[in-house]
Amino acid sequence: MENKILWETDMKRALAKARKEGKHIFLDFFNPG
Amino acid sequence: MDAVTYPNDSVINFIQKNVIPLRIPFDAQPLSTDFNIKWTPTLIVLDFEGKERHRIVGFVSAKELIPSLLLGIGKSHFERDQFSEALERLDELLKNYPESSSAPEAVFLRGVCGYKSTHTPKPLKEAYEYLKAKYPESEWLKRAHPYQLL
Repeated sequence: MENKILWETDMKRALAKARKEGKHIFLDFFNPG
Repeated sequence: MDAVTYPNDSVINFIQKNVIPLRIPFDAQPLSTDFNIKWTPTLIVLDFEGKERHRIVGFVSAKELIPSLLLGIGKSHFERDQFSEALERLDELLKNYPESSSAPEAVFLRGVCGYKSTHTPKPLKEAYEYLKAKYPESEWLKRAHPYQLL
């Protein structure tokens, strides 16, 4: 299996996951080019 | 970031274990306006309520990203008066990444956390001494300057 970051792409989903797992969110505003 | 930092195995492992990674195009509304995004990359640590706790603008190397995230998480705990959790993250940063550019701020914040949790000035003075010995060129030594008098 390829080792890579599994990014969330939706804020609400990320917040729900962060609450459930007791983690912070690392948010990257990027330029998709 | 995609070419150098994010493919790094240590970065991947740290991110998957410690944070929820979220990627949003810089012009996606309303988030772009809400977070006042003016340049990319803009990297932000949010607590689980969505409140911003730490921000970096510009490229960050693999070597610097993990300590910066640890600092962000530590700051988040500090700002919510969770001093033991903050100290745990700051100690991890200083133990594993003492040469990183985040380290001097971590020493400063560690001293403040120690003061707030013990109500004694000793941790502040220790932070000053540590900064003076290890990071004499740091901006954070200047900010800790008054603590030498404690």
